[in-house]
Amino acid sequence: MKLYKIYIVSVLSILTVSCTKVVDLKLGNDTGKLVIEGNLTDVNGPQYIKISRNVPFTNTNTYPAVTGASVSVVDDAGHTYPYNEGPSGTYTSSSMNGVAGSTYTMAAIINGQKYTASSTMPALVSLDSITAKNKPVNNSNHEKEITVHYQDPGGVVNQYRFVMYVNSVEVTSVFAFNDEFTDGRYIHTLLDQDAIKIYSGDTVTVEMQCIDKLVYTYWSTLMQQGSNGPSGSVAPSNPPTNISPATLGYLSAHTSQVKTIIVR
Amino acid sequence: MIRAFTLISLLSLLIPAIASAQKPCVISGTIKDAATGETLTGATVKIKELPQNGTTANSYGFYSIQAPPGDYTLLFTHIGYQTITKQISLQHSQTINIALNKNSELQEVVIRSDKPNNDQIASPLLGVEKLNMAQINQVPVLLGERDILKTISLLPGIKSAGEGNTGFYVRGGASDQNLILLDEAPVYNASHFFGFFSTFNSDAIKNVSIYKGGMPAEYGGRLSSVLDIIMNDGNNKDFTVQGGLGLIASRIKVEGPLVKDKGSFMVSARRTYLDLFLKASSDSTIKGSTLYFYDVNAKVNYHFDDKNALYLSGYFGKDVLALKSIFGTNWGNSTGTIRFNHIFNNRLFSNTSLIYSNYNYTIQGSQNKNDFKATSQITDLNLKEDLQYSIGNDHTLKFGLNVLHHTIAPGNITTTATSSYNNKSVEQRYGFENTAYVSDEWKANDKLTILYGLRLSGMFLVGPGTFSTYNSAGNTLSSTAYGSGQFVKNYINLEPRFSASYQLNDENSIKASYNRNTQNIHLLTNSTSSSPTDLYVMSSNNIKPEIADQVSTGWFRNFKDNTYEFSAEVYYKKLQNQIDYKDGAQLIANQDVESQLTYGAGRAYGLELFLKKKYGRFNGWIGYTLSRTELKFDAINNGNYYPARQDRTHDLSVVGIYQLNKRWSFSGAFIYGTGNAVSYPTGKYEVGGLTTFSYSQRNGYRLPSSNRLDIGATLEGKEHKKYHSSWIFGIYNIYGHRDPYLITFRDSKTVPNTTEAVETSIFATPIPSVTWNFKF
Repeated sequence: MKLYKIYIVSVLSILTVSCTKVVDLKLGNDTGKLVIEGNLTDVNGPQYIKISRNVPFTNTNTYPAVTGASVSVVDDAGHTYPYNEGPSGTYTSSSMNGVAGSTYTMAAIINGQKYTASSTMPALVSLDSITAKNKPVNNSNHEKEITVHYQDPGGVVNQYRFVMYVNSVEVTSVFAFNDEFTDGRYIHTLLDQDAIKIYSGDTVTVEMQCIDKLVYTYWSTLMQQGSNGPSGSVAPSNPPTNISPATLGYLSAHTSQVKTIIVR
Repeated sequence: MIRAFTLISLLSLLIPAIASAQKPCVISGTIKDAATGETLTGATVKIKELPQNGTTANSYGFYSIQAPPGDYTLLFTHIGYQTITKQISLQHSQTINIALNKNSELQEVVIRSDKPNNDQIASPLLGVEKLNMAQINQVPVLLGERDILKTISLLPGIKSAGEGNTGFYVRGGASDQNLILLDEAPVYNASHFFGFFSTFNSDAIKNVSIYKGGMPAEYGGRLSSVLDIIMNDGNNKDFTVQGGLGLIASRIKVEGPLVKDKGSFMVSARRTYLDLFLKASSDSTIKGSTLYFYDVNAKVNYHFDDKNALYLSGYFGKDVLALKSIFGTNWGNSTGTIRFNHIFNNRLFSNTSLIYSNYNYTIQGSQNKNDFKATSQITDLNLKEDLQYSIGNDHTLKFGLNVLHHTIAPGNITTTATSSYNNKSVEQRYGFENTAYVSDEWKANDKLTILYGLRLSGMFLVGPGTFSTYNSAGNTLSSTAYGSGQFVKNYINLEPRFSASYQLNDENSIKASYNRNTQNIHLLTNSTSSSPTDLYVMSSNNIKPEIADQVSTGWFRNFKDNTYEFSAEVYYKKLQNQIDYKDGAQLIANQDVESQLTYGAGRAYGLELFLKKKYGRFNGWIGYTLSRTELKFDAINNGNYYPARQDRTHDLSVVGIYQLNKRWSFSGAFIYGTGNAVSYPTGKYEVGGLTTFSYSQRNGYRLPSSNRLDIGATLEGKEHKKYHSSWIFGIYNIYGHRDPYLITFRDSKTVPNTTEAVETSIFATPIPSVTWNFKF
């Protein structure tokens, strides 16, 4: 359905004389807010929780690390995984991996305040393949687009997030989908984006994550806010977090699979 | 119980009214245009010898006025027409049908044979604007497509939803809180092409009234406003063809008598040729695209005799867009109205209507074998009986009944076996909105006129279907299956309506009003412009009826023999049960869409100043609005009031039309408005390797203010016996002002590791247009 929006945008641009410019705005300064980002995957290795603070819009994209926090994760069997503080606000577990079906609860004590969050790792859905083909619209220079292919399991609710890298650079678009309209089908999902143009010869890597419902809501809210086309978008706000008390960020226990292709 | 008492006490006010009716003679009849036979809505009838006696023709041109036996001079006036004076010797009740002659434009300038009246001073209505099509046709617009919706947004209290968008906000209400009626049929999506053009073809329209407050009891069902659009009946004297060729569309209208003086027809159609722009594209995909809209208005009427008339009218419009075989969408409204007017006697007028309205859309796609076809529609069937009874000159009673049936098919998706998508069908919803109303316009004395009434509105949601309740997290708590015709949820609301004017003298009056409106059909959309995927829901076990209470008061002043009209109105509106959706809401084809909603309250208040010059070589208006509109939802902005997106502190519009000579006229429209309330980031952070923005307040910022000047010129062709032609030239945004349309935030494309704000403007350069119109 994203295609629909893109179509509207391209049609409108034919008819309307639109132009853009960079502007200076007086933006507020509600900064120093805590940002917790925890990812726990089924791939064996150290798992990371990153704690930082937000900065004013006009600053450079460097975010102050939060040090001295005490962080641990406990699974639903009662096993605790301590996290050790590493450089620049990154807290690392010893080598481990999450298991599908298990719920992981994070506890982070930051300046005496305890933050908790839980996430359940869904069952893995196998990523079949990724393919590239020419973009269908406005494409005289043979720009490519990437499609992922997988079989959605029927009768269960599944949520997915994809992360795409072009020549090792992460594409700054959010791709989050659920199977509300596609349950049990063999699925071809277009990872539509304008951030990086893809041409023959580029190396494209896609990570497929099976995520839980709250984490899906988090990413899909960000995704909706990203499509700021002339067809309008929702009023942006901070996506609903699974961290309590609410702060910026999330904890996601997800499966992870990676596939790479060289675009022909 | 208190409400029941209010009803009884209000009704009892009517009893003395009826009792006091004496036995004067009644003069009644129909007022028409002499050249075309069209009935003239709003023409006034006065008795010179009894200046306090006056009445206005209703929307079918019917009037009824009373006087004791005697010799009188009757004055029939209507704006843009020559006044007719008629001497009568009144001994018993009689019927007088009148045909008024239009002023030629030259006459209007030089002689001005229609004497301006002071209707706005005497009428108890406030917050009402009636627009004259001749004036609408001269206001310059985008790409030369004359447009009622764009023109009304130049009035105080009415704001356009944004540049090139036909959505509008009235006194802070959301755009779905406007009831748009085309020959009494509700039009659900009044826009073509994502809101850049409205569905109303000016050629087919006789009359436009907008009620912003103080709504009479015969109207209801929406919180903010009623836009009542009446189609032309068709010329019953002569056969005429008129049309126009414009930059993006051409129009044609044919009208003429079916049976001379008894019946006539009118068919008006237009279609765009936007496709040609696409064909000119160098890109093969765009070249192979489809993009057009068309609409057709048709009306037939037949007057069996002086007492019985039948009207059939319909509208059909469609937008079609397709990108080769990859993607396609089409949507459209169709409406149909059958009306039967019957004059029981010289005091009692009846209109019975059977009304149909449908809005539907289809989206089709097939990419990566992902074919799907999604459809959605809403269908209304409405039976309405309206009666008007003139008790005496001092009381006009209106009452009626209305049974309205809604069928909503929220979503139906069909796919083939190889598609990524499943077939899905969301249960249809059925409901009745039944209403009864009574209102009385009471001329208490020479100075005081009171219009008061009551509207009883009932909402009945009926089965078949499964209806669920949800907790605050949106999870299903319970589900109950209801059988066909079983009541699921009923709401009964009583809506008092009151407005009064006190005439200080011939040139000054003060007015006040209070009214309550309720709304049982709600639009869910996660887009700010008009999108075909707009979804309608009825009040239900989860959704309560929206309620608005509005009080307003105003001072009305006419100057220079009523040539100038000035008004100052203030209003305060309280809104209950407003609807918003939760973060990440999924609205399309969602059986549990009601689980995605959250409810809150709102308030709107403002001051509207309006100065209008209706007559003369130079005419036009200046409108200014100072207003505030705020919403309050528990889940948003920490439960504090925040400005609604459409909150606009200042809004100014200036419209001027100047008739240079018989052939040339010029027009200009200037607008200035505070920017929309928007949410800007107050900080940034990083998650998932992406720069992400943090927000601390909903709609805490403003887009920069907007302003624009549009100009137009009309050149009438040389006079010719057989035909008439004219050229309309226009320039939209003549000084090429960059009105900010939206602001986005992103990683800088030029300075690494920083972010930037980017402003997008549309129509940022002057856009010329030319239209050629003809008539023969």
